[in-house]
Amino acid sequence: MKETVSSVVIKKEWDIVGARQAGRQLSQELGFGSVDQARIATAISELARNIYLYAKEGEITFEELYDLPKVGLKIIAKDKGPGINDLSAVMEDGYSTSGGLGAGLPGVKRLMDEFDLVSDEEGTKVTTIKWARP
Amino acid sequence: MSSLRSDMQDYKDLLSKYLETKDEAILYQAEQFSKQSIQQNISPDEIVNVHYQALKDIYPDLHEQIEGSFKFLIETMISYGLAYQEHQVLREKQIELKSEIGVAANMQNTLLKTSVPKTHAIDIGVKSVPAREMNGDYHHFIKDEQGNVGVAVADVIGKGIPAAFCMSMIKFAMESFSENQIYPQWILDSLNRVVSRNVEQGMFVTMFYGLYDVYTHQFYYASAGHEPCFILRNETREFEEIDAKGLLLGVESAVKYEQLNTSIHEGDLIVLLTDGVTECRVDGRFIEQEEVLNIIKEHEHLNSQEIVEYVFKYFERLQDFQLRDDFTLVVMKRNSSLSV
Amino acid sequence: MNLHIDDHQEDNYGILKLSGEIDAYTAPQLKDKLLTLVEEKESVEVDLTKVSYMDSTGLGVFISALKLSKEKDHNFKLTNLQENVYRLFNITGLNEVISIENTIKGELS
Repeated sequence: MKETVSSVVIKKEWDIVGARQAGRQLSQELGFGSVDQARIATAISELARNIYLYAKEGEITFEELYDLPKVGLKIIAKDKGPGINDLSAVMEDGYSTSGGLGAGLPGVKRLMDEFDLVSDEEGTKVTTIKWARP
Repeated sequence: MSSLRSDMQDYKDLLSKYLETKDEAILYQAEQFSKQSIQQNISPDEIVNVHYQALKDIYPDLHEQIEGSFKFLIETMISYGLAYQEHQVLREKQIELKSEIGVAANMQNTLLKTSVPKTHAIDIGVKSVPAREMNGDYHHFIKDEQGNVGVAVADVIGKGIPAAFCMSMIKFAMESFSENQIYPQWILDSLNRVVSRNVEQGMFVTMFYGLYDVYTHQFYYASAGHEPCFILRNETREFEEIDAKGLLLGVESAVKYEQLNTSIHEGDLIVLLTDGVTECRVDGRFIEQEEVLNIIKEHEHLNSQEIVEYVFKYFERLQDFQLRDDFTLVVMKRNSSLSV
Repeated sequence: MNLHIDDHQEDNYGILKLSGEIDAYTAPQLKDKLLTLVEEKESVEVDLTKVSYMDSTGLGVFISALKLSKEKDHNFKLTNLQENVYRLFNITGLNEVISIENTIKGELS
């Protein structure tokens, strides 16, 4: 069972903070511990920064997941940017960090429990889930 | 997770004991704890959180500001944690790559293996040692149907794996040549076409190719940008430089190489080498080459294989057992007809 | 030892004045600068007066520049080579395909 809660449009760098804020609020409500909250916020940052830097515009959507007794948070980052040509390259460690850009998508994958990435010339969609530790 | 939980209990016990006693022994245990955590891939943010949770358990009325500061600290540690995990993965990959390169180097050795031809006319010795794992030097022997001996020494400029690939290509090209076409000029003309067609710019090859005619005792040779080779003349006890003009392989596809020849007399010693080749210092001295030649002269009474082994050992010691460049040396001595 | 690259450009002409040593460590920066210059300028000169040492990686750089200059139909030349640096071009036969002006017989400290 899921419930769409909210979404944040990413256009300006400032919107990254808004997305983090929204994600943190939700994760707190869902009962995530402080480390997980920080991880979720960092993952959102990475996703939102990618949108801001490479696609210029996009959206981060949050869904609360109730797969009782499990509770989780799904985050979807979507943009209509140029897309990613070589998916395995961006998912490789050392790809983004070498340029000092941050943790990159492999980082997001590590921070979260589930991760999926679809990209074509229409744009990119990253879907990722974090489950609260009961 | 359960191990993390029990570790957390340990951490809390350690922390509260330490806060009571300030005992060095407990700090030592803390050090052990951190090593254990590294082994279990526990990231820094996790440790900060363990500390925060333990502190909250020990002091239930922790000041709100302190709680907040820990949340702040955890937040700043997240990226360090990621960098740490990435580092671990890259380290594993590095180990994997190293072992793959080891396998490739072995394969290269097998692929490029060439056997020294046995012939009563000349005594041949060869030593080739890479400075690093993959050898950028190459040597190859051919014996044609009449028993004449072809010898190539080459240096691929550009090191490591790409150079190794390039060498395998040269080896297979050479093997595809018919056994009746082993004249130096023809070989270099053909190889140059192969290399020009197939090699990325920025990689090129120097090669010296010689053909020893065992009937007439003529030594035919051609050079593609390789440093000169030498003949130690039995009669004069002096080294004679042998060199032919020619461009490096792979720079231009339509090049004609010059072929020269010289008579080899009994007791003459031909020296082909690749080391120290393409270096020059302003004081103008090719230290390495000169020394190699001197050592050879001092030991020319030995058989060819003993000479090259001796030179290599000397050379290795000279460089503190750390070769700076790949080392390849071929020595061919014309036997005296009496000794046959 | 480092390589210092002095770069002077005019409309259709560029010159790199090098001083120091060209080896595996310094060659990449030289390659970047030189190839960009050969790409952009009709006539390019590299002055090697103050180059005291060069190894095979340096040759690689100049061969790349030569190939690019041919592709672009641009001129590319090396000037004022120390004798021992010239020797390298001589051994490898590159003196026949790269235009080289002046070699210097002299001490460099």
